Amino acid sequence: MKNNNYMQVSRPHDSAFKHVSGFAEYTDDIKEPEGTLFGAIGWSKKANAIIKKIDLSEVKTSEGVVSIATSLDIEGRNDVGPVFDGDPIFTEKKVEYYGQPLFAVAATSINLARKAVLKAKITYKDLHPIVTIKEALKKNKLLFNIRKIKKGNPSNKIFNSKNYLKGNFTTGSQEHFYLEGQVAFVIPKEDNDLIVYSSTQHPSETQQIISKMLNQKSNSITVLVRRIGGGFGGKETNFMTSSICALLAKKTKRPVKLRLDRDEDIIITGKRHEFYSEYEVGFNDRGLINGLKVKLASKCGMSPDLSVAINERALLHIDNAYFIPNIEINNYLCKTNTSTSTAFRGFGGNQGMMAIENIIDCVARYLKKDPLEVRKINFYQKNKKNITHYGMKIEDNVINEIFDKLVKKSNYKKRVLEIKKFNSKNNYKKKGIAITPVKFGISFTTIHLNQAGALVHIYTDGSIHLNHGGIEMGQGTHTKIAQLVANSFGLTYDKVQISSTNTSKVPNTSASAASSTTDLNGAAALNAVSKIKANLEKFIKSKYKIFYNKEPIYNNGYIIFGNRSFKFENIIQEAYLNRISLSSSGFYSTPKIKFNKNKFFGRPFYYFCYGAAVTEVTIDTLTGENIINRVDILHDAGNAINPALELGQIEGGFVQGQGWLTMEEVNWNSKGKITTFSPSTYKIPAISDIPKKFNVEIYKEGINKENVVNKSKTTGEPPLMLAMSVFFAIKDAIASIGNHTISPIIDAPATPENILMSIKNLKSKL
Amino acid sequence: MASNTIEFILNNRIHKISNPNPNETILNYIRLNLKKTGTKEGCAEGGCGACTIVLGELIRNNIEYKAINACIAFLPILNGKQLILVEDLMSSDGKLHPVQDAMVKFHGSQCGFCTPGFVMSMFAMYKNNKNFNDEIVSDSLSGNLCRCTGYRPIIDAAKSLNKKKYIDKFEKFKKKTINLLKKIRTKNIVIKNENKTYFAPKTITELKKVLKKNPDARLLSGGTDLSLEVTKAHKEIKKIIYLNSIKKLDFIKNKKKEIEIGAGTPLITFEKFIKKYYPDFNNILRRYGSVQIRNVGTIAGNIATASPIGDTLPLLLSLDAKLILDGSKKKESISLNKFFISYRKTKLKKGQFIYSVKIPIYKKNIFKAYKVSKRFDDDISSVCGSFNIEINQNKIKKIKIAYGGMSEIPKRAKKTEKMLINSIFSEQIFNKAINYLKNDYKPIDDMRASKSYRMEVAKNLLMKCFLEVRNKKILRIN
Repeated sequence: MKNNNYMQVSRPHDSAFKHVSGFAEYTDDIKEPEGTLFGAIGWSKKANAIIKKIDLSEVKTSEGVVSIATSLDIEGRNDVGPVFDGDPIFTEKKVEYYGQPLFAVAATSINLARKAVLKAKITYKDLHPIVTIKEALKKNKLLFNIRKIKKGNPSNKIFNSKNYLKGNFTTGSQEHFYLEGQVAFVIPKEDNDLIVYSSTQHPSETQQIISKMLNQKSNSITVLVRRIGGGFGGKETNFMTSSICALLAKKTKRPVKLRLDRDEDIIITGKRHEFYSEYEVGFNDRGLINGLKVKLASKCGMSPDLSVAINERALLHIDNAYFIPNIEINNYLCKTNTSTSTAFRGFGGNQGMMAIENIIDCVARYLKKDPLEVRKINFYQKNKKNITHYGMKIEDNVINEIFDKLVKKSNYKKRVLEIKKFNSKNNYKKKGIAITPVKFGISFTTIHLNQAGALVHIYTDGSIHLNHGGIEMGQGTHTKIAQLVANSFGLTYDKVQISSTNTSKVPNTSASAASSTTDLNGAAALNAVSKIKANLEKFIKSKYKIFYNKEPIYNNGYIIFGNRSFKFENIIQEAYLNRISLSSSGFYSTPKIKFNKNKFFGRPFYYFCYGAAVTEVTIDTLTGENIINRVDILHDAGNAINPALELGQIEGGFVQGQGWLTMEEVNWNSKGKITTFSPSTYKIPAISDIPKKFNVEIYKEGINKENVVNKSKTTGEPPLMLAMSVFFAIKDAIASIGNHTISPIIDAPATPENILMSIKNLKSKL
Repeated sequence: MASNTIEFILNNRIHKISNPNPNETILNYIRLNLKKTGTKEGCAEGGCGACTIVLGELIRNNIEYKAINACIAFLPILNGKQLILVEDLMSSDGKLHPVQDAMVKFHGSQCGFCTPGFVMSMFAMYKNNKNFNDEIVSDSLSGNLCRCTGYRPIIDAAKSLNKKKYIDKFEKFKKKTINLLKKIRTKNIVIKNENKTYFAPKTITELKKVLKKNPDARLLSGGTDLSLEVTKAHKEIKKIIYLNSIKKLDFIKNKKKEIEIGAGTPLITFEKFIKKYYPDFNNILRRYGSVQIRNVGTIAGNIATASPIGDTLPLLLSLDAKLILDGSKKKESISLNKFFISYRKTKLKKGQFIYSVKIPIYKKNIFKAYKVSKRFDDDISSVCGSFNIEINQNKIKKIKIAYGGMSEIPKRAKKTEKMLINSIFSEQIFNKAINYLKNDYKPIDDMRASKSYRMEVAKNLLMKCFLEVRNKKILRIN
């Protein structure tokens, strides 16, 4: 008999057919019932001001307007902050950023709603807005107390080191630019119940926030999400759209659809944290780091949102793959008059990693060494140098193996020489190369979030209905979990029907975030499967008097107990007639993890993901323009469930990271107005920006040491950080102008402007 | 007689709409009226490609397939065309079109929201080309943004089409479609919808008549700029005169000493033509905007909007192009150098329209143009520099330099030019010249670039031009 195996199979995304034919339904595509209204939000045109008067008289009389909602309509909590307060749905007395919602309207068409909100007359008393990290630090505008992390005696070790460097470094913000903007569609039902369709990564919290706002119980709100058009963290806590939409629906007792247009989406909602660091580092002649002191400040915007967790992840990743025996970090969460900075793929980890990679790069350039060598001697090792600065023993380290393999595979050393030759012959084009590692911790660092639920039904015809708490946002979690379930039942994939994520089927879910969606929900689904299997097996054994002590095999549509086999569809029908339950919920909580936040000590991560990338670039020394000639990636996906989908995450993550570190630049003017709020002013990578040669390989030896579904490793966030190699390749190309005698000074993103200015600065020192 | 009804073909049936709202976009019509939601709104400004649709146009008894951004195209421009939507590519027995099939096979979709737009751009590419090399693929898809995949699988999907031999339903029913298109051949259109009027004259005589009676009407060509007043600022445009139904404005005349381009010529047509005269002009045009934009955008539209960073403008200025203006009075010719007054203001009077652009052919000259922007494709320049030089016996006989992005209007560097004329073509003189640019320009800071970077790049582009000429070598990374 053919052994059916649905694991390690590169089947297309479950919705691929519907994506390409236009039949995949997103929230805005849901057909509206008769009488549906359309919402629009009126928002602040000031970044920091006292509201003196809001005059909505002309809004009220504007064509098509049916209702207006303000803070006075909110019976319950006027806040969408997920952990802390600070994100009022409608602010009342003061505005704290350009774009802050003030009121909303429901009108008979989307155009009329949008026209109406423009007619509001708002008088403000201007206050001085704080826009930059530096000003916030100077004026001590912090959201929380400074958080200090210390291990060993860094001051002393730095003082006693032979070499010493200090400097500072900035990584920029980033707009998510998911292609589907924020949108919600709310249908009121009897008893004040609401059905909420929302483009969110977090249906359960959407439900809670709306119920708190309306002063209703959670059980009266049902949130449904079939798929979202990209999230990347930008739909993890942005509950503004769905809350306002629900408020309008409750007030008007009519269905309401609320979709932000692109400009409003960028203006109103939060982005990636900009990070600024100042460092002091002591090291020996080989570049081995003895001690490190870092001041790490982030631009959090006007409210806490997830900034505490994001900064914590930065602190937890400031080591990247390096053993730093003595370290002190002082972490500042700066409050600025900008939209609240929020989750974005990497979640602070990438900013922490860029800080250390920049330090390593500077150390290497100071010592006139290939940064590759300095990276290698600082790596965590297997049996020694394997305890992190937060006390976690690293048990699954493969970075040394991946690095060595990639150096060979990419021909790194030979190419360094070729590049040197090229650069000596060219004045106006310079090439650079860099290899950087990634070690990224997997689990929510807020321990209780590491749980998931699922619901599996088998109908009497043997078809399977699968539901779990994860959100399909392009990563293919539905496909992968359906593969797991089909495989576990020994059935073909088409027997499993994927359905909308639904808070009434699986309650109290965590956000689809922290790269954990498939790990957690896949395990929960398998837990449900195992319970149904137990029912079935008990039934079969007792009915057919089978004494078989081993686990039966589920394969090719049969359940096999040694020499007895039962056709799945038949036995399901029989089980039904014998009153056996064919449905089960499933649950999973990640084992082993434990983290004391106060002591900054413990095991916050179940496992680590590893990878490395070599990037070669060419820069134009007259304009600062740059291209990526070649990228080689080796990335650990464990025993991948669906290699094609993992490859998609790796490549896509890399290009998103490339955008973050090269062309994507969020700009606020001195008054706090964001000036990059549309694709004409905010540029994400387009088709010709990607590497001319793009060699991506999944690490074949990869396997998860921990008991994660299929022994796989997630590929959600980690590949974004592979793009760090792009930034340091550019830096290497700039350094070649001074024949590698001077370390270039450049912050991220390395835009053409930043590159040219760095070249100018370097030339002035020659 | 003018008609108030627009007619277009959808799935080989004639659709008619009487007095449609001329401010309604095709995208909203598709999603809200036709209730077909495969076509997505990603940005409402023609910058992401999620709304890409394909229009079939009858040209010389054949159908040309043009990908356009439905989010910034007004509904009445559908008149006389075939509308093709993502839902309509599958064959009647439910089989995917080869471009759709390739996107599935190569894992070209993740979140799927940009996918319909990619499919449509790829469909237009498939219909208009015989093979699909890197250049054709990236040019055809540069107007479509994807945030998930990193594009590699999409590129592979597009390239895989090389091996496909397949007669799709559009090929199968082509004759029928052509006959239908002939039936609805453009007529004069006058639409009155509440307080809005829309004219689409077919001839220049009619245009003049309409313009005389409605001097306050806004002239609509490709609409890639004008439509944003509706989609972004939520304003109304009450009177519109659409120029691109006038066949007589869509021409390229090749005379001995100059090329004359009709105002209604799409950029995509013009860029192919200009390549043999000024290759750099072609390079810049391909980066001017996406295929979706260049399919509808016209050179006259770019001139009339007078944007300080309109990418064709510095090139035309340094080539000393002339404009032919027409209207109620006699045709007049004006040098482009005198056309721009201040930020987005020109000498085009009410009741006047641009008839054509004349570009001189300089046989002896060297022409070079450079565009510097944050992103290579479909980005607005930080600085665009254009240089037209005549060198004789190592002496600069004539030089015309123009920059975009350096002041409130694109303009020539007259002081720098003056300093260079009659000098020896040498590094020394160019080193001096670059410091003259500050006398010609006072650039500003904005989100695209700082003033110091703009000045630095302007200098370096002049130097780059010198180096490329002297070394007889292209010194570019792209």
